[in-house]
Amino acid sequence: KGLNYLSQRAREKELRSLVSNLPYEGQEKGKQPNRFFSSNSIKTTKYSPLFFIPMNLYEQFHRLANVYFVGLAILNFIPVVNAFQPEVALIPICVILSLTALKDAWEDFRRYQSDRKVNNTPCFVYSRMEKQFVERRWKDARVGDFVKVVCNEIVPADLLLLHSSDPNGVCYIETANLDGETNLKQRTVANGLCTSNFNCKVVCEKPNNNLNHFKCYLEKPNEEKVGAGIESLLLRGCTVRNTNHAVGFVVYAGHETKSMLNNNGSRYKRSKLERKLNIDVFFCVILLFTMCLIGALGHFLWLESLPGVPPYLVPDSSGHLDSPGLTSFYMFFTMIILLQILIPIALYVSIELVKIGQIFFITNDLDLYDEETDSRMQCRALNITEDLGQIEYIFSDKTGTLTENKMVFRRCSVMGTEFPHKENDGKLVQQIKRAESSSRRGGGRKIHPYLDFFLALTICNTVMVSMATAKRERVSDLFCQRKPKRNRTRSEDPAVGSAKMESAADTNGVQTCSLHPLSQRDRPAAASQSLHYEAQSPDEAALVHAARAYGFILLARTPDTVSVRLPSGQVLDFEVLDTLTFDCTRKRMSVLVRHPVTRECVLYTKGADYAIMELLGTPYAEHLSGNQKDVAAVTQHHLDCYAKEGLRTLCVAKKVVSEDVYRSWLVDRKRAQASMDNREQLIMETSVQLETDLTLLGATGIEDRLQESVPETTVALREAGIHVWVLTGDKPETAVNIGYACRLLEEEDLVINMSCKNKLKHFYFIQLTCTSILDCTLEEVRRYEEDPCNVDTTQNIALVIDGNTVSMALSPDLQDRFVDLAKRCRTVLCCRVTPLQKSEVVKLIREKLKVMTLAVGDGANDVNMIQAADVGIGISGQEGMQAVMASDFAISRFKHLRKLLLVHGHWCYTRLANMIIYFFYKNAYVNLLFWYQFFCGFTGTAMIDYWLMIFFNLFFTSVPPIMFGIFDKDVSAEVLMGVPELYRMGQGKGEYNFLSFWISILDAFYQSLVCFFIPYLAYQDSDVDMFTFGTPMNTVALFTILLHLSIEIKSWTLVHWITMLGSVGLYFIVTLAYNATCITCNPPSNPYWILQSQMADPMFYLICTISTVAALLPRYLILPASNSISPSPLLQGRLLDRRDPDTKALRIQEWRGFRGGGEQVKRYRLSPPPSPTLDTPVDYVPEFDLTGDDFSLNVITHQSTVHT
Amino acid sequence: MMPTSYEDGHISVSGAGGGSMPGKKPENTAFKQQRLPAWQPVLTAGTVLPAFFIIGLIFIPIGIGLYVTSMNIKEFQIDYTGVDMSSPCYNCSQNFSWNSSRPCACSLPFYLDQPYDSNVFMYYGLSNFYQNHRRYVKSRDDSQLNGNQESLKDPSKECEPYAWSSSKPIAPCGAIANSMFNDTLELFYNDPNGSKVQIPLTATGIAWWTDKHVKFRNPGGNENLPAAFQGTTKPVNWHWPVYELDSDPENNGFINEDFIVWMRTAALPTFRKLYRIIQRKNNMVPTLPRGNYTLEVVYNYPVRSFDGRKRVILSTISWMGGKNPFLGIAYITVGSVCFLLGVVLLIIHHKYGSRNNIAT
Repeated sequence: KGLNYLSQRAREKELRSLVSNLPYEGQEKGKQPNRFFSSNSIKTTKYSPLFFIPMNLYEQFHRLANVYFVGLAILNFIPVVNAFQPEVALIPICVILSLTALKDAWEDFRRYQSDRKVNNTPCFVYSRMEKQFVERRWKDARVGDFVKVVCNEIVPADLLLLHSSDPNGVCYIETANLDGETNLKQRTVANGLCTSNFNCKVVCEKPNNNLNHFKCYLEKPNEEKVGAGIESLLLRGCTVRNTNHAVGFVVYAGHETKSMLNNNGSRYKRSKLERKLNIDVFFCVILLFTMCLIGALGHFLWLESLPGVPPYLVPDSSGHLDSPGLTSFYMFFTMIILLQILIPIALYVSIELVKIGQIFFITNDLDLYDEETDSRMQCRALNITEDLGQIEYIFSDKTGTLTENKMVFRRCSVMGTEFPHKENDGKLVQQIKRAESSSRRGGGRKIHPYLDFFLALTICNTVMVSMATAKRERVSDLFCQRKPKRNRTRSEDPAVGSAKMESAADTNGVQTCSLHPLSQRDRPAAASQSLHYEAQSPDEAALVHAARAYGFILLARTPDTVSVRLPSGQVLDFEVLDTLTFDCTRKRMSVLVRHPVTRECVLYTKGADYAIMELLGTPYAEHLSGNQKDVAAVTQHHLDCYAKEGLRTLCVAKKVVSEDVYRSWLVDRKRAQASMDNREQLIMETSVQLETDLTLLGATGIEDRLQESVPETTVALREAGIHVWVLTGDKPETAVNIGYACRLLEEEDLVINMSCKNKLKHFYFIQLTCTSILDCTLEEVRRYEEDPCNVDTTQNIALVIDGNTVSMALSPDLQDRFVDLAKRCRTVLCCRVTPLQKSEVVKLIREKLKVMTLAVGDGANDVNMIQAADVGIGISGQEGMQAVMASDFAISRFKHLRKLLLVHGHWCYTRLANMIIYFFYKNAYVNLLFWYQFFCGFTGTAMIDYWLMIFFNLFFTSVPPIMFGIFDKDVSAEVLMGVPELYRMGQGKGEYNFLSFWISILDAFYQSLVCFFIPYLAYQDSDVDMFTFGTPMNTVALFTILLHLSIEIKSWTLVHWITMLGSVGLYFIVTLAYNATCITCNPPSNPYWILQSQMADPMFYLICTISTVAALLPRYLILPASNSISPSPLLQGRLLDRRDPDTKALRIQEWRGFRGGGEQVKRYRLSPPPSPTLDTPVDYVPEFDLTGDDFSLNVITHQSTVHT
Repeated sequence: MMPTSYEDGHISVSGAGGGSMPGKKPENTAFKQQRLPAWQPVLTAGTVLPAFFIIGLIFIPIGIGLYVTSMNIKEFQIDYTGVDMSSPCYNCSQNFSWNSSRPCACSLPFYLDQPYDSNVFMYYGLSNFYQNHRRYVKSRDDSQLNGNQESLKDPSKECEPYAWSSSKPIAPCGAIANSMFNDTLELFYNDPNGSKVQIPLTATGIAWWTDKHVKFRNPGGNENLPAAFQGTTKPVNWHWPVYELDSDPENNGFINEDFIVWMRTAALPTFRKLYRIIQRKNNMVPTLPRGNYTLEVVYNYPVRSFDGRKRVILSTISWMGGKNPFLGIAYITVGSVCFLLGVVLLIIHHKYGSRNNIAT
């Protein structure tokens, strides 16, 4: 017990201190210092083979429905209430439980297999006895071991990197297994340690699931502390690349590794349909109880009305008859058992099966497959497919979602002069040449700002250089190092590269890879075409490529140096003193380098324009004296123009740091890095400390092209009645521009622009102002809507709102006004919003308007929003996989959203909704038994054999609805894509609503009445026996149920025919076989030869025919009649499907024009979006200004195009 | 329901990405792309109205046929419960209990106003007798009735409390058997010349063939029944043991057809059960000529405890069974309704059918 306690304490501690296992090698387990931490073997299975049944049952009984049914089955074992033979009553629940158990077992077995494979993967662990690394299994590695990983091998546990074959102490890893990012990440050896006599104590934090964060320090025997972070941690599951071998100290193992902690399996969300379904199940329970009460009461009255003790009243075994009250009390429970089918037991299992089928079809859709990335659509949440058919609001990210996130360098502004980046525009090139010659004249001491600008572009980033010719192939073989062919062989090009570099290369080769002296010659070839840049953000890559186009070629980057080739051919090796990495607060990054010629410490910074502009200090040297202030102003103007053009802007700045400042700063920096508590904060503070008094070099404008078919998609989504919102971190101008480009905004739209420009001191004042802005806007919008001139035009309102204003609008006081305003707008663009604000906006709309929301995004900044929405969609794009990991569905392009929602969403929803309604209907059929109670003294008799009754629901009538739920297609994909309006059917209440539920229940009541009373009247006062009486009813019920379904089935494929006819066939075959063979097999019920004798009787067929016809008559009358009188849009869509392709296309066009009215037609007129360019800045027409410059509310209208 | 995880997010050693599915292009098959050839009927007034007319046209003649057939069936019922003071069986119905040893007899005269030509089926009818009571229906042992020796000696629990009597197993056990109908009915023709002719009643062929030959069997064959039923006792309410139901060894014991007929529990509380068949002798003479008859009843069966009625029914039958005009009427009604609705749909089709085509 004590040990357990110790172990618990060791695990719970905030800080763990780990020591090497080596001194304890071979000792018993109790003496191992790290014995409390989990081993590296993993077990993701839920069950063990021995206890599978009890554990699975326990798991399954967490579902209320199962408990209900087991309760009923148990009730059946109480003799006074049982309706069936107790054993028979167990069949349905057993079938359901075992089906589910079977599925669970199969899944668990797959997990077990994969666990076993992972656990038995070989790895190298250092052994002190053998004085070398010996081969072990992954499961044998323990915390405190030293593990060697070789190239292309997967890291077995979270390792603190201690040694790398690379002389710079660098190890490259690929984290595709964790987050799907295929670019190489660099890890560096924790400072100054040696594996041979490792006598440090590693103190690290408690395991957590943050993949980008790790804190630990190493305490040397002399109590010196060295900090290490995520940059020294090799994560389990990553692949080692470009590094011959690396040795690490196991910090976390097995389930405590970051990757395992991140592995939460698939997500569980409850869909809207399911929530509604539960309400209806509740109604069914009420209905059931009512019917049982009627039964109990009826039985009581019946007993009371008997004048004596008739011979058919059977006393209990002692010959005693219970009082009527008590008997009818028991009868209540008997009735529950008898009528239990009213609560559809098979529904939940059927829904699961149907969803599996639907997901199969969605993932297999060829249209959702992306050739480029070879990726299919992924369904990560398995139970919300039908929610896709009910979306009303879409919240979209901009970059990477609407746009490609493939950045192209378009324009730049250097020292106040604006240059376009075009193929044959030599203006900038000439400038550079001039600058070069001038700086050469200056003896290299003074660097011309033009050169500085491009150097900054080249240096200030984290772009890795690799060779395009060397393919990164995955080699899962452990012994890949034996192969002579390295996966990143660098060919040496003797023509380029300074002698200094050559020598460095040689030493590299010798030092790092004595086994393969020739293979590791990592020298960047100067055949610059084959250089391949791997950037973490596409912006950086664009900048580096742009710089290369002007002759500034990034040749190599190691943690300590950056090699750049200048246009003149000269190669400069900058010593990297430090890298101040990018973070969201600072919105900038800097690189501190030592210039090889001037030996100055230079800080190059790039970042968001407002983040840089605030930090500008002394004007740039003496070069362009006089109008320095203007450079900033002019650049700012250029930046504004860029933004209006839809370009992404970045500012580039530089600062020369004096040696003294650098030294004192370095001390702070080191202290920050070694600190354990809020290290990030401290590091950031040191960064801010240095990034002051910057000198502006220039700005860049990068274009992010729209993804293909984005405008078509947004137009289609809008026609489908979905509001599309864009939430972006970009500037309002950029967002508006993109809005026009992807047709979220139209020329004639009324665009309201709300923004708080300056920061005000008093929160109260801001709020007050915001309130009035909102009120005014609302007033304006209302007036606008009521304006008789605008009634016919259906002109749309769009709202552009910026981050500050959004945060105000989200405050509790203003929420309602904001929502009120927002719901009147067709489109809302939220700019400059943080990830948290994104999710807050989504939550607000979702909760206030009670609508189905969908969030789509591609980056880490969208994760919050994706998780907040009802349906989260991740786009697997350029920015890694975080969004995808958080999402419910993952697609590769924005345009896929169109088919996903309009077609698959619609299908999934209608299929499931119809199936559920049908299920309720089907189960309400048990009313047949209820009507019979009126003729058997409410004694709970069933006139149908128990087996057949149970089989009826479980086998004879269960497959067709499931197939219906998987395969039915009400309208073809073509029409659904062509006429997005059809999507509106599912929105809001949709097809599965209160009305449709009760109609189906009432229909079931009517049909059961017909199916009972026609045979009843036909057999009245005859010598018919019980089962002979029940058989035609059962048969009629089967036909009615199946024919009822056949109205619902909209398209009959072979599958439908087979299941329908198969069900009928199965019913007759099973019943006939059962009736022929069971003479005394099922006492006391005896169905021997019943169906046979019935089938020999013409009356049977006559009764079956008329009952079926009469039961289905209303449905077969009302449906076609209403289809004819007022055809629903869906029906018209179906009618369209029947036409030949040409007419179809024509009609679709006509329909869209016809339905939408004139305005809609105009929408399809292809017109270029009004793009504000540099020459013609957009005219913002200020309607009213409230508080001078602080706030502004702009209404952009293109009055000229307002049309009636 | 519970979430099912198909992608465990496992870090697989084979290198397939934990996040992304093994990239594969979906197959372009009609099945996977949901392009299976399909029949897509669209139900509109135009498409369904022929069906309505056809149903109408088929159902009405069938209904007429059924109705005529039913009308041609001759049926005569006589209630002999003896509820009224005037009824000859009133006395019998008053002083009676199951265990009365003195049989009570009464005779009811009746007049048939038309001759019955074909075979006449004689039924007894009981009303308000809930043979379909849940506990009653179960109170039997099919295995015993099937001739199983073990069940004979040790009846099923279901039979209780009619399984054991004075520590002997009851054969046949259970409430159904115990409450078997035991009135004796005889039919006499009062010849106009004054003589009273007993009409021969056939007691065999009234049960299902499969019941008589498969489902019901005497233990140890049909010979020497008293020996076979040695060690068992008769049901409490019975006057005779089961092997004395009939003198004919082929109609005695468990395979006695009266017993088999009773054991086939009726579906509804008012039911009739076939009692005897009056075979037609030859083509020239009607089976039951017009005239006066007397029904001689040995009144054993008590029905006062449940307000029951007892009837005797004489009926000829057709291919559709006994007299019941309901089905014929139902067919005619449904058929006419269908026809009418067909007309309504036709109007709808004419009015709206063409408009649809413009709209789409």
